[in-house]
Amino acid sequence: VKHIRMISEGSRDTEDGSNDIRLIVYQDCERRGRQVLFDSKAIHKLDTSEPVTCKNLIVTVSFILKTSDETKTPPNRSGACHIGSQASEKDKPPSYQYTRPAPDVTMLGEMMFGSVSMSYKGSTLKIHHIRSPPQLMVSKVFSTRFGSSTSESTNTLQDSFESMSQTFPSHTSSIGKISANTSSFLLIFAHQKPSEQPRCNDSVFPAHSNPVDMPSRGHSEDGDSGIARSASLSSLLATPLPSPGSSFSSGLSSSYQRRLLRSQATSLQHGPVPRWNTEEMFSLSDESCSSNPVMIQRKKIAISIIISLPEREEENHNFQEFFFSHFPLFESHMNKLKTAIERAMIVCRRIAESSQRVQVYLCRVMEALGEFRMTVWNLYMAPRISEPVWLSMISQSTERNLLCQRFLKEMSLLMEHGAKSQFLSALLTAVLTHHLAWVSTVMPSSMPPIKSACQKPASQTADLLAKSHPYNPLWAQLGDLYGALGSPVRVCRTVVVGRRRELVQRVLYVLSYFIRCSDLQEHVQPQEQMDNPASPCTSQTTDPTPEKPDPLKPTACVIGTSEKALNSDLGNAIPGTSVEQSHEILLTDTKSTSPSPSVESTAVRSEFTEMAQECFGEDSDSVGGGLEHILASQSPLLHRVQFHIGSPSETANDGQAGGLTGAGCGRGLDRKLHQRLLSDIRRNESSDSALGDSDDEETSAQELYVSHEDCTNLVCLFLCSCQVESRASVNHFGRSLLGGYCPQYMPDFALHGISSDLRLKQCLMADLEHTVLHPALDEPVAEALCIVADTDRLSVQVVTSQKRVCEGGRLGRDVMVSNLVHTLITSVLQLYALNIASDFCVMHLEDRLQEVYFKSRSLAEYLRGQTRVPVKELGLALGIESSDIPLLAAVASTHSPYVAQILL
Amino acid sequence: MNALVALCHFCELHGPRTLFCTEAVHPPSPSPPQPGPAIPGDRDREADREGEGLTMRANSSATQGADMCEGCRSLPASHPGFVSVDGETGIRYLSHQHPRQPQLFSVVRQACVRSLSCEVCPGREGPIFFGDEQHGFVFSHTFFIKDSLARGFQRWYSIVVVAMDRIYLINSWPFLLRHLRLTIQSLQNTALKVFDSEQCVCPQRAVRMNSAFSPAVFPHQRSGNAARSLTSLTQHPNLWASLHSSFSWLLKACGSRLTEKLLEGAPTEDTLVLIERQTEQEEEMSGWDGAEGGVSNPQPSQSESVQAKDFQFDDGRQEDILGPKFKSLRHLRQVLGASDFRQLAWHVLMGNQVIWRGADPGLIQSAFNVLKALLPVGCVRAVPYSPHYEEAYRCNFLGLSPDVPIPAHVSSSGPTLLNKMEVALSNENLSVEVVSLCLLCLKEEWMNKVKVLFKFSKVDGRGKEDTQKVLALLGATGPGEEDNVRLLKFWMTGLSKLYKSHLMTAVRVGERTLSQ
Repeated sequence: VKHIRMISEGSRDTEDGSNDIRLIVYQDCERRGRQVLFDSKAIHKLDTSEPVTCKNLIVTVSFILKTSDETKTPPNRSGACHIGSQASEKDKPPSYQYTRPAPDVTMLGEMMFGSVSMSYKGSTLKIHHIRSPPQLMVSKVFSTRFGSSTSESTNTLQDSFESMSQTFPSHTSSIGKISANTSSFLLIFAHQKPSEQPRCNDSVFPAHSNPVDMPSRGHSEDGDSGIARSASLSSLLATPLPSPGSSFSSGLSSSYQRRLLRSQATSLQHGPVPRWNTEEMFSLSDESCSSNPVMIQRKKIAISIIISLPEREEENHNFQEFFFSHFPLFESHMNKLKTAIERAMIVCRRIAESSQRVQVYLCRVMEALGEFRMTVWNLYMAPRISEPVWLSMISQSTERNLLCQRFLKEMSLLMEHGAKSQFLSALLTAVLTHHLAWVSTVMPSSMPPIKSACQKPASQTADLLAKSHPYNPLWAQLGDLYGALGSPVRVCRTVVVGRRRELVQRVLYVLSYFIRCSDLQEHVQPQEQMDNPASPCTSQTTDPTPEKPDPLKPTACVIGTSEKALNSDLGNAIPGTSVEQSHEILLTDTKSTSPSPSVESTAVRSEFTEMAQECFGEDSDSVGGGLEHILASQSPLLHRVQFHIGSPSETANDGQAGGLTGAGCGRGLDRKLHQRLLSDIRRNESSDSALGDSDDEETSAQELYVSHEDCTNLVCLFLCSCQVESRASVNHFGRSLLGGYCPQYMPDFALHGISSDLRLKQCLMADLEHTVLHPALDEPVAEALCIVADTDRLSVQVVTSQKRVCEGGRLGRDVMVSNLVHTLITSVLQLYALNIASDFCVMHLEDRLQEVYFKSRSLAEYLRGQTRVPVKELGLALGIESSDIPLLAAVASTHSPYVAQILL
Repeated sequence: MNALVALCHFCELHGPRTLFCTEAVHPPSPSPPQPGPAIPGDRDREADREGEGLTMRANSSATQGADMCEGCRSLPASHPGFVSVDGETGIRYLSHQHPRQPQLFSVVRQACVRSLSCEVCPGREGPIFFGDEQHGFVFSHTFFIKDSLARGFQRWYSIVVVAMDRIYLINSWPFLLRHLRLTIQSLQNTALKVFDSEQCVCPQRAVRMNSAFSPAVFPHQRSGNAARSLTSLTQHPNLWASLHSSFSWLLKACGSRLTEKLLEGAPTEDTLVLIERQTEQEEEMSGWDGAEGGVSNPQPSQSESVQAKDFQFDDGRQEDILGPKFKSLRHLRQVLGASDFRQLAWHVLMGNQVIWRGADPGLIQSAFNVLKALLPVGCVRAVPYSPHYEEAYRCNFLGLSPDVPIPAHVSSSGPTLLNKMEVALSNENLSVEVVSLCLLCLKEEWMNKVKVLFKFSKVDGRGKEDTQKVLALLGATGPGEEDNVRLLKFWMTGLSKLYKSHLMTAVRVGERTLSQ
């Protein structure tokens, strides 16, 4: 495919992957103090004196992918490593030797637990940066939980370790065998075929069958508090869309709602409120759902992952940027590792013989660690779609025409390829049903277009929201990509399987238009900038001049006088500095030693005007460095203050105390936003009884702000601004989770392709279950889904975490083609075939997607207030075909949460 | 960013203390409620207890004043604190010694104690992240400041950033680390210069070595030395104002470090046409009633009213009309009877002029109000009540009193759209809202066909044969084809200028070259 270039990103240097990842498990027991339960550095695999094949040579438990390091050649296309179960009947399970822990474990233990133990019973997260050798350490500390029946503790395990100084031969107990099968892994590259023998899932990820409440955005009965702080859950309480009969042109999309609620759920203003996952503990007993869990004694278990950082500065930087921006994914895998360790401890406790017990334990933990290492490596290294269509169209408007052409060409080729089986229609039906972020991108805007007439406008309400109520854009993007916008919250991934690389890549390319998310811009302070606002002491101030009289006075002063008085004062002192119409006054030090005060004052004024702009428009050319001087410097030339003077009533009305001269519009926008939100809320209140006790909360929040309204007696200082460079963010999920043709199944990617579904079949169910238990999204998830498109068989299936059994050993259900989607694609491609400009065809595609949205609105309105509606009736009343109902219901659930419940 | 920044100090006498705290106070949002029986009071009390359990000695804010030395203090008690306002967003950055929001007091206290006396950082200086759901999450950076009079010639501080959003805070680690380092280095360098100059004047090492160690004097000495404030260590009289600026900036910059570009759908043709009309009207006259709800206004409630109002006759007054009036299309249909209504609707859809004669202008206006919903906004040209006949090109809805003569020249199967519309209207199970949404769907669907036809025939100027293909593709062929085409052509006149000019000027250079 000429136009598709799917290359692994160059910036991801493969050498990063050679970092060792070390695992330490520690316990802190009230009675016995701290003990190391596992340290991967202290474990050595024993040579089982098997005939050494070359494969076995690569079999290694430590995550050393030095291959690329040594050869200095780029690894074959992708750096993703491959795991295959190589264990045949003859292979003996690996046996491990547990040697004395490395000398640094004591120190590491201190870091994990802290020098003073905390009484907190939930889990604690810590990240340390170790300078030399450069390492990052991520720790989770858990309180332990026993079932009432199991009073034996892990001490036995510890005892076994302590008594062990010699080597243990391998043992083949029945459990040991299972471990063995799965624990000899092989790190090979893509060209090698994985073994045919499927691995036993349950030994890797023991089926964890904790009953999990199904969180739902549907309203009414869900007054349950357990998941109270979930953004998406609470979204149900404010019905996201304006009521019927109101504007169709701009409702608040669920993506907007999600962001607003996230900002509120994570707000400091409410203080800490325990959230849905606080009760995470470490189970030392099988009966995790035991009716009477007893805390036998205060014991904590800490799990630490220590990642060695690359030596080279740039690689180090790149890896850290990636690590911190992708932390939720790392954490999710760490949770998986924790579960495996739990299981290992529980299982090995059943084994009487101590050396054997240790072997089983080590095998299982090492295996889980190997899994973790591989996943992390893959996450960092796997190939990505180099030009995802949607994101590229957003970010490069100049190349839009070319992009449209490519996109349509690829899509029509694909349509031809799977014409008989309606492969593309089925796939797009599934993708549009589950990756729901496209919906808000077609909801019509009510704003007049700013730039080119028919381009999609950027959401200004969302923009405004982000500024006044900051939320984490990365989190928002992750939810978009996984399609977590419906109700109940579902997350979805799409995997394209096929031997023909080109075909799979074509599918991926086309899907990268439909799986959407916001684009992220990063605003950074240029390195060369001398006076960063972060540094409080600038060069001028570093020279201490203690004899300066009354130093605070020239910089700032407390306003007690009336506006008029001050105005006249200032007017006398420095004519021209008071700014008409706005309630702030720019003041220079009246005792200024400036040689020519009048000149200075005018300069001050113009500079301030610029600064005012600078404060509020980040893009404009910066002069803002000066602000720093103003605040920090003692230079008499630069003593300036901004005052906010306004009658209390006025500030209270505004909801803010005026701004600079340029702030008028900002204030206006702010007010608009609030009005808009308030009107939406008001509109919704009537329809939603669950809002009942909202008033109190709101009042208190308001009161809080109002109490701070009284800022007139505070010393008011300018908000610094500083030059910012905006650039496309590199480390965001839109770039990292749209994978290319990967050598191996990737559990995190929103979209990727693989050549064989072997490993997919092994892992998928466990992964989906894990996603529901430990969603990387940091909010409760009702269901995890995976769309599996097979380009060889031209089949599309949806696999869900909810239904395990599928007939005929198949993964999931086949997708019913939505007629709406099918005609949509067909007509777009026919237009394309008629040589209509591709730009126009894409616009038409968007128009047609918008039709789908409008239809979902009718459906939602029709269902409002009903309890159960026969599908037939929908067809008759609304002209909706049954094949379209799943799609329309899913779309409708993003703006009308009640829909899902009625159609269930 | 939804976070606060605090400077903490490990006082040799009093243990970990919060010195200076900058918090962001957001304007009240119309917050949907926090669901569940979350009782803030209880939680706070519990949190308070937890926090204090950790402290070296119990400290409530009330007793704090008593055992506080210069080193534990930032702003004098009389100082009101600092504030900076972000005019664009209304966010305020407030700085005091302790957080103003009571529920945050114990959170910051906890963060301070943990950062300076619980968590272990290799080398004692550096970044750590820690936290849990109950106490919030903390990015902490510990550091030393030189003090010629302190034990070991240095004092231990930390800057903590506290947030509830764990992931956001971790995502921000590189940014926070980079900038807090600048803050810290700046403080350290400044203090180092002070330290050096003090050492020049009076080398402490020598003093200490020469002075005989006396157990009696020692504690007194220590306590005296413990009192130095950070201001004195840096000789920076505006230190707190500067720190306030730095911390405020940090919170703002961290919150705006990443911005999203989130797209919406393009406005519908109806919206565009309304905007255009609005603009024209504003240019033409100012006294027009319907123009007041500015379209440039992003509020849905407003644009909604625009949509409802702007049809060249003022809906707003409809409420005031006394006497009978039509409430909905269905109502109209019931009154007229199905077949007459169909006739009427057919003509409306085809763009034929509809003349409504009657003595009651209010009734006529209400009829037009419901009928216009059948058409794209751009196709509606109405003269609700005129004393004389208006030509068809001027209006397609015309109200006349019974005595106005109609010129002689004025004197007509059905399109697909009409049939579908009728289905919805005749179904009594559908509420008025559902019907209007169905109508919207139908209109948008056909408007999209109109766009394609416009592009095809007017912009690209394709021949008849191709046009026929497009019609088939659009589902406009078959029974009622002639009417469909008529409808499409009429509706074309309702496209917004913006849209048309966009298509006309669309660059077509190099189009399709790659695919040929």
